[in-house]
Amino acid sequence: MLKDNGFRETGGEKTEGSSILEREDVTELARSGVLMDSEERSGTVVFRNHTPVCFDAGNGDFELLPVTEALKRYDWVREKYYFYAVEEDMDEMTLRCARQENPVGFFLRVREGGRVTLPFQAAMYMTEENVEQIVHNIVVVEKGASLEIITGCLTRQDILRGSHLAVEEHYVGEGARLVTTMVHSWGPEVIVHPRTGTLVAEGGEYESRYISLKPAKEVVINPMVYLNGRGAVARDLTIVLSTEGTTVDTGGVITLIGKDTSAELLQRGVCIGGVLKQGGLLVGKERCRAHVDCAGMLLDESGAGSIVSVPGLEASHPDARMSHEASLGKISPEQVEYLMSRGMAEAEAITMLIRGFLGVDAAGLGEDLDRQIARIVDIAGHGEA
Amino acid sequence: MAGNRNILEIRELVVQAGDKRIIDGLNLTIPCGEVHALLGPNGSGKTTLMMTIMGFSNYKIIGGRIVFKGRDITNLEINERARMGIAIARQRPPTIDGVRLRNIMAYQIDRGIGDAERIAAYVKKAGMEEFLDRSVNAGLSGGEIKRSELLQLLMMSPEFSMLDEPDSGVDSGALRDVRELINSLFTLDDNHPAKRKAGLIITHSGHIIDHMSLDKAHIMHRGRIGCSGHPNLMMDRISRFGYEGCDRCLGEVE
Ligand SMILES: Nc1ncnc2c1ncn2[C@@H]1O[C@H](COP(=O)(O)OP(=O)(O)O)[C@@H](O)[C@H]1O
Ligand SMILES: [Mg+2]
Repeated sequence: MLKDNGFRETGGEKTEGSSILEREDVTELARSGVLMDSEERSGTVVFRNHTPVCFDAGNGDFELLPVTEALKRYDWVREKYYFYAVEEDMDEMTLRCARQENPVGFFLRVREGGRVTLPFQAAMYMTEENVEQIVHNIVVVEKGASLEIITGCLTRQDILRGSHLAVEEHYVGEGARLVTTMVHSWGPEVIVHPRTGTLVAEGGEYESRYISLKPAKEVVINPMVYLNGRGAVARDLTIVLSTEGTTVDTGGVITLIGKDTSAELLQRGVCIGGVLKQGGLLVGKERCRAHVDCAGMLLDESGAGSIVSVPGLEASHPDARMSHEASLGKISPEQVEYLMSRGMAEAEAITMLIRGFLGVDAAGLGEDLDRQIARIVDIAGHGEA
Repeated sequence: MAGNRNILEIRELVVQAGDKRIIDGLNLTIPCGEVHALLGPNGSGKTTLMMTIMGFSNYKIIGGRIVFKGRDITNLEINERARMGIAIARQRPPTIDGVRLRNIMAYQIDRGIGDAERIAAYVKKAGMEEFLDRSVNAGLSGGEIKRSELLQLLMMSPEFSMLDEPDSGVDSGALRDVRELINSLFTLDDNHPAKRKAGLIITHSGHIIDHMSLDKAHIMHRGRIGCSGHPNLMMDRISRFGYEGCDRCLGEVE
């Protein structure tokens, strides 16, 4: 076991993540794309409840520190990167996070020109009932550098209750590129309120994918992206499922501040019960191009589930070219039968259609998600007699 | 079933779509190894017949039965029929949003229904490489839809292929490619030393009839098979006189 202060220095030898975690934990983490001891990752951070149990900089070309350590070591972290992309007094949640004496979380920096080829991965993992997890992570991708991060946020399958509050700050430098994939998988009574803010400098590129297929009781996601520099680009894809008894509210605000910036915000949601709210606001302050597209599929026939879809646009510059689109629908029997005529059983056909609708292929998460979606279809199938 | 000489036998079939009786007492037999043409004026129920044989739920069988390879399939699910070896290339297939042709290809390969190498060769032959990552049938021209449908059949190697107007909307330059795809579909039956795979083709032009050696042609009229005969002779007559004679002819028979 690691000690209380248990962080390792960056660049050290590999800690054996899986020797600290039980085998079943390793399996659970894999469900959210976090693969322990995998050759496919450049580094790994795992927080179990309040404790970091793995802090492995692997052989990645980056600097990895506990956020407390980074604040101690570098003055500029507090000046430039601490509660800057996310405002400290934004709301009650951020205030609570800021009030922590020793914030839990990581600081990750890819230095100028550095290219991390394999994805870095992080897990926020809750294994006890009623844990209140508060984390603050800061990611800095400096000029011309590139990084991909996979983050799994999850409760162990037998856990019902808890709350997860995360402040995530991303800084994408000039001509840099950051791709984030976040997979959420929660117990039925968990409350989830992440606060994510991303600043993108000139020519920088930010791509974010958020996937939540095992929803908590209440999920509110409203990431903020600021395209500050000229020609900066953002692409944001949200894929969610809402089930009975859940409220899933996914939004996102992309503010286009620099000249010739562009953004695309896509929301894909399947509702098999509960309340699904989809939003997405684009704010154009300069010459820019942006599109927001919300699409929802309602598979609940009982009338208890609902979808609200509200894409929005705001412009304060005459050359802001912005558009929005929203559609709601159900699975078309004609399409199901078409696929059945190619040999698929009804459930297989529905799975393929949901996959296609959600665009999960595009997210490239592979088999684990496949299995999860198969399960969704099972649940959805119960609605039909 | 061993010793079964007919791949398809339809007896006294009555089919309703919407609240309209479209097929009314139809009989049709297709022996193993034979490919037949289905002719008939627009609206005579040709598409309805194929969709009913495949099992689509918009078409309600209210009388008669369909026997495939000796088994009564009248009440089977679509996918069960597909797995028995029936397949259809549709006249107007729906767009399958989000599902890519590549997904269907992967599905057939995963199931061991299609062999990856052979399928890759078909994709090339059908000129569909650039469409693999698009939603199935989305934004395709008439001719491209035909090739997409035929390609999906080739992936399945069906024992009995139904082609609903595979040549209409295809420009003359591309007709030859379409015909070659069709010929690949009706290659020799693996289970028989000399016979090809069986099928039914709806067509209006002489092109397919002229260039493929079909075994027999049927004219559909008023929800039944009006008459059957030699494909070239029948097509020749129809192209000269149309279906005008059919009314009179059927009137006399009744
Ligand atoms: N789903 C349906 N509901 C109602 N009428 C239909 C339906 N499908 C076909 N029909 C009608 O049945 C008749 C035969 O149609 P179809 O089988 O498409 O003919 P063909 O393929 O020979 O041109 C037409 O009058 C058509 O309008
Ligand atoms: Mg037709």
